[in-house]
Amino acid sequence: MDAKYLALAQMAVGGGLMGMAYALVAYGFQLTHAAGKAVNFGQGELVMLGAFAGISLSGIGLPYWLSVSGAMVVGALLGWFVERIAVRLALQQRNEGWILLTIIVGLFCVSLVENIWGREDRPFPTPWPAGALDFFGISVTWPELAIAAGALSIMTLVELAKRYTMVGIAVQAVSADPDAAELCGIRSRSAISLSWAVSGAAAAFAGTVIGPVTTVGPTMAAALTLKAFSVAVVAGLDSGFGLVIAGVALGAAENLSGYLLGSGWREAPGLILLILALALRPQGIFGKKIIRKV
Amino acid sequence: MSAVVDIRLREKTAERIVRITLFIGLALLPMLWQGQYALGLLTLMAVYGVLLIGLDATVGYLGQVNLAQAALFGLGAYGTALAVQSGASFPMALLAGIVAALIPGAVLSLPALRLEGPQFALSTLSFATLSVIILNESESITNGAMGISIIRPRLFMVDLDARGFYWLSLVILFAAWWASQMLLKSRIGLAIEALRDSPTATDSLGIGTLRHKVLAFAWGSALAGLAGALHAMNFGYLQPAAFGYDLMVMLLLGVVFGGRRSQWGAFVGAAVVAMLPNLLSNRTLFTGLVTIGSILTLLPVIRRVMTRRVPIFREVAPAVAMAVALVLAFFASNVEEWRKGIFALFLFSAVVGLPNGLAGAVTAMLSRLIRFAPDPLPQAKGGIRSPEIFAGLPLHVSNLKKSFGGVRAVDGITLDIGQGETLGMIGPNGSGKTTFVNLVSGLYAPDSGSVEIAATRPVPGSLMSAFSAGAARTFQNLQPFSGLTALESIFVCQRDGGKSEAMGWLSAVGLEDKARVLCSELSYGNLRFLEIARALATRPRLLMLDEPAAGMSRPDILRLVDLVTSINRAGVPVLLIEHHQDVVAELCDRVAVMDDGRLIALGTPDQIRRDPKVIEAYLGADDTETEALCETEGLC
Repeated sequence: MDAKYLALAQMAVGGGLMGMAYALVAYGFQLTHAAGKAVNFGQGELVMLGAFAGISLSGIGLPYWLSVSGAMVVGALLGWFVERIAVRLALQQRNEGWILLTIIVGLFCVSLVENIWGREDRPFPTPWPAGALDFFGISVTWPELAIAAGALSIMTLVELAKRYTMVGIAVQAVSADPDAAELCGIRSRSAISLSWAVSGAAAAFAGTVIGPVTTVGPTMAAALTLKAFSVAVVAGLDSGFGLVIAGVALGAAENLSGYLLGSGWREAPGLILLILALALRPQGIFGKKIIRKV
Repeated sequence: MSAVVDIRLREKTAERIVRITLFIGLALLPMLWQGQYALGLLTLMAVYGVLLIGLDATVGYLGQVNLAQAALFGLGAYGTALAVQSGASFPMALLAGIVAALIPGAVLSLPALRLEGPQFALSTLSFATLSVIILNESESITNGAMGISIIRPRLFMVDLDARGFYWLSLVILFAAWWASQMLLKSRIGLAIEALRDSPTATDSLGIGTLRHKVLAFAWGSALAGLAGALHAMNFGYLQPAAFGYDLMVMLLLGVVFGGRRSQWGAFVGAAVVAMLPNLLSNRTLFTGLVTIGSILTLLPVIRRVMTRRVPIFREVAPAVAMAVALVLAFFASNVEEWRKGIFALFLFSAVVGLPNGLAGAVTAMLSRLIRFAPDPLPQAKGGIRSPEIFAGLPLHVSNLKKSFGGVRAVDGITLDIGQGETLGMIGPNGSGKTTFVNLVSGLYAPDSGSVEIAATRPVPGSLMSAFSAGAARTFQNLQPFSGLTALESIFVCQRDGGKSEAMGWLSAVGLEDKARVLCSELSYGNLRFLEIARALATRPRLLMLDEPAAGMSRPDILRLVDLVTSINRAGVPVLLIEHHQDVVAELCDRVAVMDDGRLIALGTPDQIRRDPKVIEAYLGADDTETEALCETEGLC
């Protein structure tokens, strides 16, 4: 193959694998949106906190798997906490205050990270071998593969749990109609809290797999929220695995435009596509059309 | 509880007096608080004031979280800077700033304003990110991340010093404040508030949802550009990074903290956003303020505990947040390191504890202490009249079809309504009556078939187009304009006339004593009457009432019968969908019966009552059941 096309393919594959991480964070948006029609505008901060928690747990000598699990527990607690303090009240009052409150909580998290872990970027330690694998001339590193494998397995696990466990079915009932679910003896609040906790755990896990590829620092949060949110909305907030396609596409587009137009323009095509997608199909490419009822 | 003081002043007048006093005070302030630094802060406050009044147009009045204002501010600033570099005069440079924000704002508004809630927030956020990227990367024009420097041009031969520029900024803030108030208290402003509560209703009553949204957004963008222009001339140095996400969060929170839907709120927010960073550098002042804040947020909690009730989240959370801030104030080695965190804590307590912001809280407190003289109500004029003469049938529908998935909700309906006729439409639940009204009023586009209203064919699926043809409707699920008073909700729908005519429509439905009551506080039955008055005020050629008696009490139903009778006498054609058979029998010239999406009978109420198909559809073929249901439905 031509060297130029090979380089482009390399860029696309690398970006696409990174895009799986966006899809995973976006999946967290989907979970909370299904449960309570709200999403966390500070989700990127949870990713960041998850990554830092992982670093610290590795730092005290825990093995890789334990520090990843520990980070997920931290993420779950944070997700639950955000729902409790920032979302529940605003949703009861049926206003958009939750958008502001989740932004505020995110802001606090950034400040917390800056003061606990410092402003510098840090590497994330992993047990993966250092080399790269070669597929038809395209090299893929182990941490990149870990993103794809991790994202897919988390999403599959949660989807299976949603379909085949009592708790999962209860959560689905709440997302269809919280009041009706309450009448059937399901605690809607607990179901919503659970969704936020799972969403937080997914975000923290995303942090632990993104960390080794990029680095971990307090500035990673804001951009991540926007990208993951773009993926969720472009795919449709109720689209299931449509996000994987959207995530991979966004990751690849980002890398390619960075390569072709210069690194400053990395995010531009994704953003333009996002605005267009929203304008043409507000319910998302894979989303179901909403019928207005009066 | 506390004594209320009566004041013989109208609220409007009182507000005006306080506002003018404020501006005189602000103009004199540099005499007392001297120094370049103070002047810089005051100017920044005035600039942010203009910016936040603009942001409030979307965040407050439109009710959408707009994350593009900081970027529009930046675009305005760069527009002015580039104009100055190419030798523009002072007024031209200001204009360049406005245009530089207004045009991209307008372009963004067209796709963005079709969206709601998080999707709207996201599209504005992407626009903002994109703008900063473009400012950063277009190095040949903006000098990229290095920034751009300008020297302030002279204003009509006068070289403005810092104090002069401050006064100019104050004048512009005053003008922006006044103009916003005029705009947003006018009929346009009412329309913007109405569409926030129900975009479907504003479209089907011909107010025009999209154009008012674009207007609100454009106004906000223009003010952002104006503020940007002032900012560029004030600082003389711009960098793209200054207009990023951090500033956006600050602005948004400023508006929320000050109080939405209020120019006062925007001003208070601007003062806080401008002054807060400087508070943190003065440790004593900061500690003092946090202590006061902690005490203030603790008071409601203590009151709860003293009366042996469990404190609620809305009171506890701000107190906890302020307590954390207090801990930081005393124990953090360097408070400025915690800048973002402390902002977050303050804002969290404000958003949770003061849902209507500082301005809202002060207004609520004042209204408990002072009673202003009420605005006089206008004299009622007009009332139910016959529609202007038009050619053709009020409604002509042929072979109308609409399916949702596999369900044929409306399956080939052909129907006419004659001049001055009241046609009733009945049918079991789920027989397609409301879908039929939704098709005629343009909420849905039909799969096939045609609708003609007063001899014109509206664009299928366009509420506005059906309205222009002459249709007006009420809703089975009420669509009130919750933030407006009864009088205002009529006024905003009116085709012609002023507040007196609006009063006339209100008294026509018997709500004249509720004129000043907010729709959110009206009873269910009264809201139904208000919806009818709203539709009547548009002077329709076809009035569609979708189950007006649903959920009404017996006396209200009698009132409704009288009302529809007088509408009918005035010659307004009515399509009445109703479950109460006695109402239909009394009011309608003809009755159409729907079942399973089809028209199964059409005739006078007497004919319908005896039609075997109708009896079967309603009551089933089984005789014993028939008798039982005859009683309840009052059909046979």
